[in-house]
Amino acid sequence: MRTLTPALRGDVITGIAVTLVGAVYYVATFWIQETKNIVTPATFPAIVGIALLVLGLFLVGQALYRSQKIAEVVPSGTTSAGSASASGGADASEDVVDVEPAGVVLDAPEEPKSKQVVLQFALFFIYLGILIPVGFLLSTAAFLMTMTSIYAPHRWVRNLIFSVLFAVVIYVAFVYGLAVYLPVGILG
Amino acid sequence: MDTLIDLGGGFASALEPLSLAFALLGVLLGTVVGVLPGIGPISAIAILIPVSFGMEPVHGLILLCGIYYGSMYGGSITATLIKTPGEVASAVTAIEGYEMARRGRGKAALATAAIGSFLAGTLAIIGLTFLSPVLVRLANVFGSTEYFLLMATALLLASTMSSGSRAKALISIFIGLAVGLVGLDFQTGLPRQTFGMSLLSDGIDFTIFAMALFAIPEAIRNLALGRGAKDVIQSFGDDKWMTKQDWQRSAMPWARGSVLGFIIGILPGVGPSLASFMSYIMEKRISKRKSEFGHGAIEGVAGPEAANNAGVGGAMIPLFSLGIPGSATTALLLFVFTMYGLQPGPLIFRDESGLIWTIIASMYIGNVALIILNLPLVGVFVKLLKMPKEILFSSILVLVAIGAYAIEFSLFGLMLLGIFGVIGYLMDKGGIPLAPSILALVLVPLLENNFRRMLQISGGSFMPLLTRPVSLSIIVLMVLGIVGPIIFRWWVRRRQLLADVSVA
Repeated sequence: MRTLTPALRGDVITGIAVTLVGAVYYVATFWIQETKNIVTPATFPAIVGIALLVLGLFLVGQALYRSQKIAEVVPSGTTSAGSASASGGADASEDVVDVEPAGVVLDAPEEPKSKQVVLQFALFFIYLGILIPVGFLLSTAAFLMTMTSIYAPHRWVRNLIFSVLFAVVIYVAFVYGLAVYLPVGILG
Repeated sequence: MDTLIDLGGGFASALEPLSLAFALLGVLLGTVVGVLPGIGPISAIAILIPVSFGMEPVHGLILLCGIYYGSMYGGSITATLIKTPGEVASAVTAIEGYEMARRGRGKAALATAAIGSFLAGTLAIIGLTFLSPVLVRLANVFGSTEYFLLMATALLLASTMSSGSRAKALISIFIGLAVGLVGLDFQTGLPRQTFGMSLLSDGIDFTIFAMALFAIPEAIRNLALGRGAKDVIQSFGDDKWMTKQDWQRSAMPWARGSVLGFIIGILPGVGPSLASFMSYIMEKRISKRKSEFGHGAIEGVAGPEAANNAGVGGAMIPLFSLGIPGSATTALLLFVFTMYGLQPGPLIFRDESGLIWTIIASMYIGNVALIILNLPLVGVFVKLLKMPKEILFSSILVLVAIGAYAIEFSLFGLMLLGIFGVIGYLMDKGGIPLAPSILALVLVPLLENNFRRMLQISGGSFMPLLTRPVSLSIIVLMVLGIVGPIIFRWWVRRRQLLADVSVA
């Protein structure tokens, strides 16, 4: 496990998660009422659950197998842990990402910090939660103001103008233009 | 001849002022959204589906087809000028086009992309016009066995042909299937996989799933990155659009890209993204100026862009004539059809022939509009690239929330949106591609119904798969389609290894 590179460790985690989802999904099919048809309502869901379970296990197995191969290529002890994972990473990405033939190499996108991601999601969920009770106009303006201010606090005037204007314009466009009635909430 | 008469009728109604306006609006809107960094055609359509809710079916469909075309072209602008492809299909443009722009040849890159897209797009629609009726006639002998097989093929191809790990693409497909099976069973009316929640018995709405997967992870990722390095926007200077040499160098790649893209596009389950990659590889191999590739070779923009757009037209063929989408984007369009109560396939050409031909005619118009509007307006679109990220992505979050609200009118719908946003983010982080699951979700009901019908007719035997001539030929093609690419990859790798060895 020492030679598990970040990419492969990611695969192991993904694989385990997929296996669990597959297992839960499969178990849930036991609650589907039995019928006498040749293909019962539970047949397809069961196939899907088992497939996910198998694919998840396959992913884990594949990652472990690859890390073992890397371990064979990089004799332990001769290189520091850092370089081992670096060379392993390159090896793994070649197989895992399966770079297009003739080497079209795409830049990997930057990865944000998990804490930030959780915060952004939390704010989004709060917005989704208050959208109906508070109403579209107020909650949207507040949400946009929060999001833009986290990102660019010094430009609060611009943020405020944008947040209010965007909420109003979208509201008018949807309600009067497209007849999609957005929640009015406490303003109603 | 009948086809021409039908098409003529289509043009007659597509040229009505309102239809024409929606085609133009779609192309324009699509380009604007497609230009936004990180937003590709799939996200553009997913975000804009709610706009078409209240419209006449024909107008809504014309609008969304226009959005599809426009967003593809918008994506090329972004790829060329800031190297941020909105989707895989324009990723190769981000390589050569961006290099051209860095050398002050941005205008030529955009022009060859636009003209190539126009030519290839138009050729592909001509193909669509004349091939669809043929396929519709063929589809009359199709039974549930064949339909089941074709859909299974589409899903299998989508997993083998996507770039990246095949196992992960398969996982994505099964996640899509898993989501699609939630809700009441069509045949028996029994609840399935609802985990005891009655709210889930209506199933999980497709648009919510698509918006959650294609808009939320990207938006959250960008917002969470905070003020990072700013994208460098290449100006396209006052260089000439295209020189005589550019035309000469682009002509053949356009032609080759069109043919390649069209053929790949027709295959079920294989979207235009593979077409642009294949075209790039082909151009690089054929080129006498191999050393220019990676440093702004115009062939590397002309070919893939043509292939990409020809692929769109090609992908419409199985969608229109068989009702089987070839890619995630066409899966979205299939959903829009069903949203209006229309089922693409052989019957639509008989029952709704006016509508379908109007849409086909509007595609010709959309392609013309694209080139008339976009080359002169490119300066305006480029301004959009300067839109601050926090404004762009927080607005997108609001738009998808409106979309989810307009579908369910409930807190439950909004929460589903958020939850699938999280799932999409985790899938993305785990390297599981998102597009195949959209395709799978759309195909679930058709796949399962035909599977059941097949086994009920045969009394539980799988033999019809092999004994029916049409189904047997599909199986043969399917095996070739899956084994072929594996051999092709192996061959490319071998060649590459040999080339590397000989260089060393």
